[in-house]
Amino acid sequence: MPIWFELLILLLVTYGIGIGLGWALWSRGIAADEGFEE
Amino acid sequence: MIVRPTVALIAGAFLVAIIAFLGGASTGGPMAAQMDRAAQAAIAKAGGKRVTVSFTTNGGWPTRHALLSGAEDMDEGTRARVAEAVASIPGVGGVNWADGSMVAESNVVPLTPMHCQEDVEALLQARTIRFEESSTAFDPASRELLDEVAAALRPCLGSIIAITGHTDNSGSEPGNIALSQSRALAVEEALMSRGIPGNGLRARGVGSSKPVKGLLPADPANRRIEFSVITTVPLAPTPVDTPGPR
Repeated sequence: MPIWFELLILLLVTYGIGIGLGWALWSRGIAADEGFEE
Repeated sequence: MIVRPTVALIAGAFLVAIIAFLGGASTGGPMAAQMDRAAQAAIAKAGGKRVTVSFTTNGGWPTRHALLSGAEDMDEGTRARVAEAVASIPGVGGVNWADGSMVAESNVVPLTPMHCQEDVEALLQARTIRFEESSTAFDPASRELLDEVAAALRPCLGSIIAITGHTDNSGSEPGNIALSQSRALAVEEALMSRGIPGNGLRARGVGSSKPVKGLLPADPANRRIEFSVITTVPLAPTPVDTPGPR
């Protein structure tokens, strides 16, 4: 397995985790704001 | 300009891929070269003369996985030492031999599940299954021996076990073959009555054609029954939690 491919897997997994966490926090924040507004 | 989230996600992933490729291409070469130098030193220290190491894939890319070659005629112990020495270098992801063998020879003693033939041979070394003269009836002592033989064959259930009857060369050969055949069949039946499935047993008689090595064909000690495991069944894992179709 080439080194660049190992790096690609590592970075894509990190990217995925980052996107997932970001989306989860962002959507919770939206929900909290909506709740506050009500 | 409103960018749709999906497009942004894909663009981000694409950017990540480019960074990975550029990063890997620029740092991979020096990294592999450094591991190559360390591996050559380790191989020389482990006594692997003529062994060459490559940190390059088939496509020519630098890799962390070492491919060792040039040790086809070396003994397994040295190969194992060389492979372990290379594998212990920091950063090395794995070690393979170009001739396809494993990294190192395992120290684990190989499992020999089919030892029943040896068990039966050990039983029959001291005692013999005897018959009444010119008959297929067992003598009383042989019934006890048959119990022990059946118990020794039980671990090999599922294998094909050959029962071969032999005689000495007194009398006519066709008669001897018929007698040895019927004695082998008598042993087969006796084993079946002791719980060994008949579909795994093959009885045959060879008359006096195969005397015991070192004995004259006329020697009465040639009257014997031999057991041999002719087909073994590989050990299958116990089926656990494998639900069948509805």
